Amino acid sequence: MIEFFSMGGFGVFIWSAMGIALTLMVLEPVSLMIKRRSVLKQIKRTKRLEARKNRD
Amino acid sequence: MKINWFKYSAPMNFYPLAGKLIPLFWIAAIVLIAGGLYWGFFKTADILNDQKQYYRIIYVHVASAWMAMWLYAVMVFWAMLGLVFNTRLSYMLASATAITGTMMTIIALATGAIWGKTSWGTYWDWDPKLTTFLILLFVYIGYIALQSAIDDVRRSDKASALLALVGLALVPIIYYAVNCPDPTQCASLHQESSLKRVESNILIGMLVTTLGFWMYSFATTLMRARIIVLERERSTTWVSKLPEVLSGVNDPDKGAKS
Repeated sequence: MIEFFSMGGFGVFIWSAMGIALTLMVLEPVSLMIKRRSVLKQIKRTKRLEARKNRD
Repeated sequence: MKINWFKYSAPMNFYPLAGKLIPLFWIAAIVLIAGGLYWGFFKTADILNDQKQYYRIIYVHVASAWMAMWLYAVMVFWAMLGLVFNTRLSYMLASATAITGTMMTIIALATGAIWGKTSWGTYWDWDPKLTTFLILLFVYIGYIALQSAIDDVRRSDKASALLALVGLALVPIIYYAVNCPDPTQCASLHQESSLKRVESNILIGMLVTTLGFWMYSFATTLMRARIIVLERERSTTWVSKLPEVLSGVNDPDKGAKS
């Protein structure tokens, strides 16, 4: 197991390369989900304001 | 069966279709990336001796570098389509592709630097391949910056599309930076990109991972495109009739105090 992770002494390099790729590729979709939620929220708020204006 | 492709050039039809496709691309991406890396790490144990273990960076490095260049070409394709047919959705797809492309460029540069440290003893060198790839990153950033600098959507779409088109010259330059026709004229640290030189089990891991990165790019690009569609089409009736928008709007008093 330790042998596997040490990768002949190159473990730090290999796992940090994999880590950078993985981190960015998780952050991107997460940030997109947050963004989508905030855009939807904003649209809903505008629609609510419009609906209220029409009713009054 | 004949599919009417023009139907999907309307944001109204594209939006639900993309919503259905995104989960499929995510499944494909996760399966392929996990499978590719599994193969690359566990099926190649006897091929690489300890002095060569760093070679395994190839899986993410090549996958992201190929995607960085491929997504640039895809971005230019959509930008061109936008310029020729003046379709709104094409421009939206172009700008949705740009950020994933930028991210792939960053991954390729970062993993390349780490690989460089192990095999050349340095993180960075002004080698033709590395330098042109850095310029690719700057062009991507320039495209995104230009787009956000112009407030008028139509103008910013057109201006950034032209910038993308000019930057396309970089893609063949990056390619020929190492696959030099005359090796005496261009010395390069970066090895030639020839698939024949890669051992077949490593090649399988690399190609499957690349395919996974591609599916990932489809998923994130479509996700971003849907957000851009929502932002740009927010005042249309079809957006206000979307189930995700309708929930919470029916009650006008909700959130009245906020």
